Amino acid sequence: MTAQPAKTGFGRRTLPNITAVARREITARIRTRAYRFTTVFLVLAGTALALAPTIVAFIDRGSTGSRVELVGGEVLPDYDPTVAFQQLLNASAGTPTIPVGGQQPPPKYVVAAAPDLETARKDVVAGTASAALVLARDSNGDLTFQLITKDGVLSRSTQLIRQSATSIAIQDRLSRAGVPPVDQATLFTPPSFELLPPDPNDTGRGPLNPAEDTGGFLTGFGLSIAIFMAIILYGQWIAYSVAEEKSSRVMEIVLAAATPFQLLAGKVIGVGALALLQYVIVSLPMILALAFQNQIASLVLGADAAPAAAAGGSVTSSLSIGIVATFGVMLLLGFAVYASLYAGAASLVSRQEDINQIVAPLTFVSVIGYLVSTYAGTGLIPLDSPVVVALSFVPLFSPYLMLTRLSLGAAAPWEGVVAMVILALTVPLALWIAARLYRSGVLLYGQPPSPRTLWRAIRAG
Amino acid sequence: MSLVLDGLVKRFGAVTALDGISFEVPKGEVFGFLGANGAGKTTTMRIVLDILRPDSGIATWEGTPTTHVPRETWGYLPEERGLYPRLQVLDQLVFFASLYGIPRDVAATRAREWLARLRIPDYATRRAEELSKGNQQKVQLIAAILHEPAVLLMDEPFVGLDPVNVALLKEAFGEMRERGSTLIFSTHQMEMVEELCEAVALIDRGKLVLAGPIREVKRSTGRRVVRLALDGKTIEAGTPDGGATSIPWLDSIPGVRVSRAGQDYAELEVPRDVDPELVLRTALEHGERVTNFLIADPSIEEIFIERVGRPPASAEEKHLAGSVSAPAAAGSAAPVRAASEPPR
Repeated sequence: MTAQPAKTGFGRRTLPNITAVARREITARIRTRAYRFTTVFLVLAGTALALAPTIVAFIDRGSTGSRVELVGGEVLPDYDPTVAFQQLLNASAGTPTIPVGGQQPPPKYVVAAAPDLETARKDVVAGTASAALVLARDSNGDLTFQLITKDGVLSRSTQLIRQSATSIAIQDRLSRAGVPPVDQATLFTPPSFELLPPDPNDTGRGPLNPAEDTGGFLTGFGLSIAIFMAIILYGQWIAYSVAEEKSSRVMEIVLAAATPFQLLAGKVIGVGALALLQYVIVSLPMILALAFQNQIASLVLGADAAPAAAAGGSVTSSLSIGIVATFGVMLLLGFAVYASLYAGAASLVSRQEDINQIVAPLTFVSVIGYLVSTYAGTGLIPLDSPVVVALSFVPLFSPYLMLTRLSLGAAAPWEGVVAMVILALTVPLALWIAARLYRSGVLLYGQPPSPRTLWRAIRAG
Repeated sequence: MSLVLDGLVKRFGAVTALDGISFEVPKGEVFGFLGANGAGKTTTMRIVLDILRPDSGIATWEGTPTTHVPRETWGYLPEERGLYPRLQVLDQLVFFASLYGIPRDVAATRAREWLARLRIPDYATRRAEELSKGNQQKVQLIAAILHEPAVLLMDEPFVGLDPVNVALLKEAFGEMRERGSTLIFSTHQMEMVEELCEAVALIDRGKLVLAGPIREVKRSTGRRVVRLALDGKTIEAGTPDGGATSIPWLDSIPGVRVSRAGQDYAELEVPRDVDPELVLRTALEHGERVTNFLIADPSIEEIFIERVGRPPASAEEKHLAGSVSAPAAAGSAAPVRAASEPPR
């Protein structure tokens, strides 16, 4: 089927020829400027991405954060309201919010008393203060707040200031009702609150809402990007390599010595090995940067850098051995399937300019897989919807979707194993289809064939 | 023992590229494979190499079907030349040899020897795209012979080479032959066939026209050629419908006609049943002073034109056209465009 039977003239040399072709791919490509450039670029970009929290914190280190000016603080004579507000605002700002923004360090608030309303208003207009909060008491003695700001009602700052104002107001009411401050602290202690799955025996699953699992989301998102990049970038390499052999007419010399299957397998292995090499080169500094984010941050920013590394820490903590292993297997198998099909498709065109057109359907499928996995990861599509669950087993989609489901704890380990087995079984099928396309396409010059001709080619082989 | 083609039939859709081709190439000989473009030469070579499979018929080498003959038996110089443009010459040669199981160091040594022999030793570390077409062709030839194949199949090996390189290539041919290789090449340069080949096969539109040792092929035409020069006289040809020549006694010999007139000598066609010496005797009887008399067989070119109906040189026109627009230059591979008929 795929390989020539061993007794034929070609069959004796299946392994040596695959090795020879793979070796040529590696030696020829590793010397190219493009390979070196993309490697250096990806190392820099990857490390920068991993260090983003620290880098952003470093860039922000000079700024004092948002300044909120307080007018009329004297209505709270028992304590300094500027200190209370600053504590409340910064405490609230530190809580996790929407995961997409998780890479940014929490904004800092500086609260200061303003001499009068006019000065505060001017500062807000000039931009030296982001908001001015005016405190007063109404006829009942209740605290009233007026916020002067350029921000909208729904802005995070406004929400935080409103939240803090509510806390201060409640505290004030309790004080006026005669509740001592020590009792107030007890009053505000959060109660015990547990989240349980409906099935009491189910302990392995994490939260189904991805927004609650920042680390898991970032892991699934990052690994999907990693697989997507590998398939698009390295799949294109194979496609170009095939088209180069065809357009330079070197193909016929090679075909006299090796079968399409040998050539194809050699190419997938050769380019795959190079891709893996580049991956390791790019991943190592990234992983190190994530693992040592705290140390790097404190080195660059000083001791108060811990919050900056929070996002990085949550990613590394959710990167279990199982997820990393699944990622590795999915990457290799997914690449093998896509790369074979890219090669088969590229053998049908005569010029390198036509490659994008002929591989477009494959790229499209890949993009769909990636997008669905991202949407499912952010909760735009329910992660447990039947479509997502079904697609996570379908070979061309499973590298993206199963990985996302696994890293968010929405799939049981056995589901991951099943998806991997299905994907592994697809590799020989993809090679077989590709070899058939290759046989038909490789000595074919002129217009790309119609879908009907393609189908006939696959059947005739 | 030899390469035997037996009843090869290959169809591409509605086109019958090969229609029962059968001939034999004796081992160790230099064999000319002739035919106009589109005659089926490349298809035949691809079948021998198992790049294509025939619809029926079989090709065998020393009694074994060529599909089961180890690949390293063959060396192939395709009509459509190609190298990896950005790969260094030596690396390409080592790669091609490695596909035939030649260790890298052995391949590198042999490659350097051949590059020196073909007078391009300095190009070993150049990228293929930096080489002229002629030099690329030499590299391709080396790629085809580096593993010292028993049979070397070459599609138009002389096209695009200058006279110096043609001489170098002939030298290489000689060396290959001394080592016992069987050389099969297609060409439209009939003087190369006359000079190099011991046997030929001529195919036209997928059918075998003639095949065998050159001597037998020439004899099979049923006529001979006499080259004749007369002192002080120009031999002019008669009209094509048998009109009188400028030499009246010549017209008295039945069946003899002037096939080529010239200032220095003329070529006469003499039927097999007429003794060529009769021409000489008749000339002397008529008191002519004969300055040149030579009995020869008809040239391969003449036989080609006679059997195919057009001169082989039309092959070159097509080849040149092909090199201008590469995608259309499938050459005699044109029928392969039918996607429903994939190679191998």
